[in-house]
Amino acid sequence: MIRGGRSYVLSPPAFSNDAKRLLVCTSNSVTIFSTATGLPVASLDGHAALVTAVIVVPASTPASKIICYCWTASLDGIIRYWDFSVPELIKIINVNLPIISMVIPTLLSQTAETNEKSPKTFAYLSVENTKEPEKESSKALRGQIKKFNLTNSRMAGGMTLTETKQPEIITVSSSGKYFGIRFKRKLQIWKVPTAETERAMVKKITLHHTKNMNVLAFHPTQRIVAAGDVTGRILIWRGFGDRTFADGDGLVNGKLMNNEEERPGVRGDDDADSCTTWHWHSAEVNVLFFSSDGAYLYSGGKEGVLVVWQLDTGRKKFLPRIGSPLLWLTDSPDPSLSSISCADNQIHLLKMPSMEILKSISGIKLPCSFPEMCNGLQSGIAFDCNAGLVALRTENYCIQLYSLFDDRGVSEVVICERNHQPGDEVTVVVTLAVLSLDGSMMSTAEVKLPEEGLGGLVCLKFWALGSQNKEFSLSTIIYEPHRDAGISAIAFHPTRPMAVSSSNGGDFKVWVCNNGIQQMDQPLSNSGWTCHAVGSYKKKPMTAATFSSDGSVLAVAAETVITLWDADKNILVAVIGETLMPVVNLSFVGTSEYLVSASRGSKPQLSIWSMSKLCVSWSYMLHVEVLGYTVTTASTKPTSVVFNDAAMLKCNAYFLELTLQFYSLHKSLKLQCPNLSNLISASAISYSIASAADMSSFAALALLPESSKCNEISLKGRDGVILLFNASDPVPIFTWSVNKAKGGALAFIQANQSSIDENELDGKPPQSLLAYINGDHEYLLFDPQGKEAKEHSAIRQEGLGDLEEAGKFGYASIYGELPQFDPKRKQASWVPSAPLERAWETVFSGSSHNLPPLTKLCSVFLESLLEKRTANVD
Amino acid sequence: MADLLVEQPQEITISKTFPTKPKLKPKSKALSKTSESKYWSSFKSHQISNLISSIPSIDFSPISPHHFAAANSASLTLFSSNTLSPISTFSSFSDVVTSCSFRCDGSLIAASDLSGLIRVFDVKTRTPLRRLRSHARPVRFVKYPSLDKLHLVSGGDDSVVKYWDVAGESVVLDLYGHRDYVRCGDCSPIDGDMFVTGSYDHTVKMWDVRVDNKESVIEVNHGNPVEDVIFLPSGGMVATAGGNSVKIWDLIAGGKMVYSMESHNKTVTSICVGKLGKESGEEALQYRIFSVALDGYMKVFDYAKMKVTHSMRFPAPLMSIGSSLDCMTRVIGSSNGIIFAGRRKAKEDVGESKVGNFWALGSVEEPQRRALRPTYFRYFHRSQGEKPNEGDHLIMRQKKVKLAEHDKLLKKFRHKEALVSVLGGKNTENVVAVMEELVARRKLLKCVVNLDEEELGLLLGFLHKHSTMPRHSALLTGLTRKVLEMRAEDIRASDALKGHIRNLKRSVQEEIRIQHSLQEIQGVISPLLRIAGRR
Repeated sequence: MIRGGRSYVLSPPAFSNDAKRLLVCTSNSVTIFSTATGLPVASLDGHAALVTAVIVVPASTPASKIICYCWTASLDGIIRYWDFSVPELIKIINVNLPIISMVIPTLLSQTAETNEKSPKTFAYLSVENTKEPEKESSKALRGQIKKFNLTNSRMAGGMTLTETKQPEIITVSSSGKYFGIRFKRKLQIWKVPTAETERAMVKKITLHHTKNMNVLAFHPTQRIVAAGDVTGRILIWRGFGDRTFADGDGLVNGKLMNNEEERPGVRGDDDADSCTTWHWHSAEVNVLFFSSDGAYLYSGGKEGVLVVWQLDTGRKKFLPRIGSPLLWLTDSPDPSLSSISCADNQIHLLKMPSMEILKSISGIKLPCSFPEMCNGLQSGIAFDCNAGLVALRTENYCIQLYSLFDDRGVSEVVICERNHQPGDEVTVVVTLAVLSLDGSMMSTAEVKLPEEGLGGLVCLKFWALGSQNKEFSLSTIIYEPHRDAGISAIAFHPTRPMAVSSSNGGDFKVWVCNNGIQQMDQPLSNSGWTCHAVGSYKKKPMTAATFSSDGSVLAVAAETVITLWDADKNILVAVIGETLMPVVNLSFVGTSEYLVSASRGSKPQLSIWSMSKLCVSWSYMLHVEVLGYTVTTASTKPTSVVFNDAAMLKCNAYFLELTLQFYSLHKSLKLQCPNLSNLISASAISYSIASAADMSSFAALALLPESSKCNEISLKGRDGVILLFNASDPVPIFTWSVNKAKGGALAFIQANQSSIDENELDGKPPQSLLAYINGDHEYLLFDPQGKEAKEHSAIRQEGLGDLEEAGKFGYASIYGELPQFDPKRKQASWVPSAPLERAWETVFSGSSHNLPPLTKLCSVFLESLLEKRTANVD
Repeated sequence: MADLLVEQPQEITISKTFPTKPKLKPKSKALSKTSESKYWSSFKSHQISNLISSIPSIDFSPISPHHFAAANSASLTLFSSNTLSPISTFSSFSDVVTSCSFRCDGSLIAASDLSGLIRVFDVKTRTPLRRLRSHARPVRFVKYPSLDKLHLVSGGDDSVVKYWDVAGESVVLDLYGHRDYVRCGDCSPIDGDMFVTGSYDHTVKMWDVRVDNKESVIEVNHGNPVEDVIFLPSGGMVATAGGNSVKIWDLIAGGKMVYSMESHNKTVTSICVGKLGKESGEEALQYRIFSVALDGYMKVFDYAKMKVTHSMRFPAPLMSIGSSLDCMTRVIGSSNGIIFAGRRKAKEDVGESKVGNFWALGSVEEPQRRALRPTYFRYFHRSQGEKPNEGDHLIMRQKKVKLAEHDKLLKKFRHKEALVSVLGGKNTENVVAVMEELVARRKLLKCVVNLDEEELGLLLGFLHKHSTMPRHSALLTGLTRKVLEMRAEDIRASDALKGHIRNLKRSVQEEIRIQHSLQEIQGVISPLLRIAGRR
């Protein structure tokens, strides 16, 4: 089982002490990237929910820079302490509340001190109070800021600093003296007591503003705090907390005498000297950060422009056109390196004074929001099942090709050459992307939305894969292929350069590439796609299209009926069916004689049609959303489909049969998952369907209806089901429940040898893997027939399992708490990687004249060993 | 090399700049020109149109500078092939001149006319030297043998082929055999004693004056009245023209037809052999057959590959063709007295040789170049003009995206200025592209509102010209309606704008008229198609 496609930008990343590693929170784990290559080198796995904070323990002495410890906190309510160079789990602390944010100010302030006596470490947590029942009334305060004793792993007594409606993110100053949160129009700032004890009082001030604030930042040395609000203003308070925090500081005694009037810009009774406002951003400010020397302030927001303000003069410098809203800015111990995280799941490493982009760590493109009228079409996710690639639409009119096996982007194809401004209204949408079976051709459809009825345009584009550079290049553009009607589906012929596009305007067109009839002396540039045939059926909107696995039959859905065509001669061969609602998806089940159709709406339906009898074989009254399918082998023998006219007589017994099958399905589902049975009757389930050629089976992804979701305890957080069917049998072979299924997709992926070495150990390499991409573009590859899948369904029945745990079911059940190694780490064999840095291996390596004196090295070495020992004792 | 090609740091671009691009136009299905086709169309065409009637015959002088003579009415005009202007005219004919031929040294020219007289002139002095009278009927062709200065071959409507002794003005041989008008003939390029003649009796006969019995050596049947016959340069093959076809015969194989080229639509009137004057390339210095026909086409035929390699259309029925030996000039005579001359651009080889002489004479030594020192200005320019060697790895500088004025304005979100700037330009496609970009930014209508009167006039002028163009009408007709709705007040207030509206109205009415007539045609055609489809 392979997992991947995780978001890199949900939480801020952290640099290691030597700035050679970047620790990025990737959903349930922390992935460690090398800043030199931008490639992943290791990962810390163990959390059961989203990791929300990662804090690297700073080096107290220059020599200890190689020591790599970090704290991580997660929504599962557990704080873990890692040695990330190994990587190894050292300590687990259970908080029992979902942690939204964590800061450990003592780590930062400690740096100057000697660590002969290890003081207690306190963390400040922003937790979600799950004990408070979720009420409709908005009064409930669900967010809490708590103080937590990490050394003793318990809550510091009575220390709930504040309560807010929503859990907020805590920001800490780099000196570790202050930390604060912003909520609504207020900033709350606490001063960390100099001598941290369990009961030490934490002093608090509040600063007010007239707009909701998004982000705050502390000056590293002076008492300056900056905050950005939703309108794009940046407010800078100087000398905050002079009165409240004055006592221990000794720095600001004189100012205490100042009378109240000389405080320009400060609201009401707020404790600050002055407040100035800078306004450049046109939209909300998401990123604020002071440079480590405190001379500059970095700010960024929705426009995707990083602005550098000179703090004294207010002069600006820009790094424009990053292309996506900025989310986080992190600086590293190396002053010349920092990272910015963008909303398009990319982390850029910046060389700091010049703001050059050194490297980009780019993850899978996150789903982007499209206008309503384009959402109904398809999820826009296409699979290249032989190469294991997935094609995803991005916001800036590109198609990203992402390798599922390697978990990284292969290339990006610019579909529409247009400048993209993040935050603009979406007016140009890539609605469809389809890859041919061998992955050498791609077809995309894009729509330009009209402005008050002016200037809308539909474009169909064909792309060809270059032979050497493996990049798609544009072959043909067709403007308005079906006049002004939108394109509902595109399908490629499995063996020949032929494609069909169906439109809502009531016709479909068969396109052929004239590459085949190329002559020797003719230049290659003349090749292109031309319309071969146009067909329509009773002027009905054509809603879906597919080719059979040998390409002999073209099936096009004309709303509620399915028309079968000979694509070469453009002859209507047969018309089958009458579904209740328009068919939105069609797929032939491998080389078998079955055709799957899916329809949505108020009376949804999933039907399996037999091509030999030309009638429904079996059917569920289920809502079907997407029919994704793959045909694994292109060299299948052409199976002639016999159209028997006599068989077109629909037997009346079919309805009877159907009810019988319904009954059996009910029964089988009850066996497998008792909760599913009532879902079926609540006919609001949608499907994504994938079929595998060789075994005449197909998988379907069903969305569970809203009504049932909240009641079922065992299905908590899971809104979809993957059902694996054999086409001839209405009883599903396997079922798996998944979360975030809306907008998801399924496909059977041909497993290549290198990717499944762990499965090969069983002796029987699997034929194909089932790939599932959820609505957040996280994906999962597993063998539907294999052992782990069966374990899966076993877990499902007990109602306690999680999809990702199924693969290590046996191991985890026995050694529950021990450090867990994701099976995915075996991937590392083909991901190019740098060697891990192990403290005790690297401390003594290198030529002798470069090494620090042995006394220093020895202490470092022993230190690492000692700390580990203490951790283990804990 | 290292200092020349500065390695650029690999710049990671996050988001690129795309200029607005107009929609692509479909590529024409026509094949691109072959290199040979390019060569033949590189002849710069020139019309000589002050002649009166049909040009039945053109002949080039075999010696440089290759003047050519064109028979025209009752005169023969000599043209310079350099300037394509007339040099002299022989006009002492009593009837229409039918044919002319230069002697192989280019000093004499023979011409025949409809009265049956053949005359020989000195080319330079224009003095008539000999009058050869023996033909009873009009003479249709006269030809000097290519290796013989003393004899002439002629043929005429009395179906007799005569072999003349020019000096004595006497007939050496009367060759009987043709049963209809003899229209054409050619002498062998390798043998002074052999020639072919073609006649309206569909046959082409080859004669040898050494044969005693006065019968033809070889006879081939073209199948149509033969209009022209020529020897191909090898001397072993002839090409005949007649009817719509040009046929190639192998004489050595006993008169076997090799190929029949039938790409003309009307009678082929004349053929000649020309050479491809290119020094390099695959087809350099190969021979081609030019053929002209009454359909106005000139075709170039490659008789090695048996393929028509070029085809050219002229606006008149063509009667005769000639091509100079130096491949520089090709001349076509038409039936209405226009000569279509084509001349290739001459290389300045004459000038070059002169320059070479000048340098050779002046033995001026190049000054010794001083060694470069950092104090010299030249030091800082050293090796800048150096060219990369064969094996060098070139690192190309990244191409800069060229932004037009309107793109720069769009980049600064100055939408109205961008629209006005592109409207001021001439490129319709760009205007539409900018409008589409504005639509995508939801700013087009706002721009229209903000235009002042002058700019609105500009926009209305553009809409008047282009709103009915089918390629852009989807966007522009809608825009026109919106503009009229939104700016009605301003238009009413200004006379200049009213004028634009009148123009706009007119073009719309014109378009409606066209659409109506198209619908009428559709109404006529669609029942026919229906019937055809029912079959």
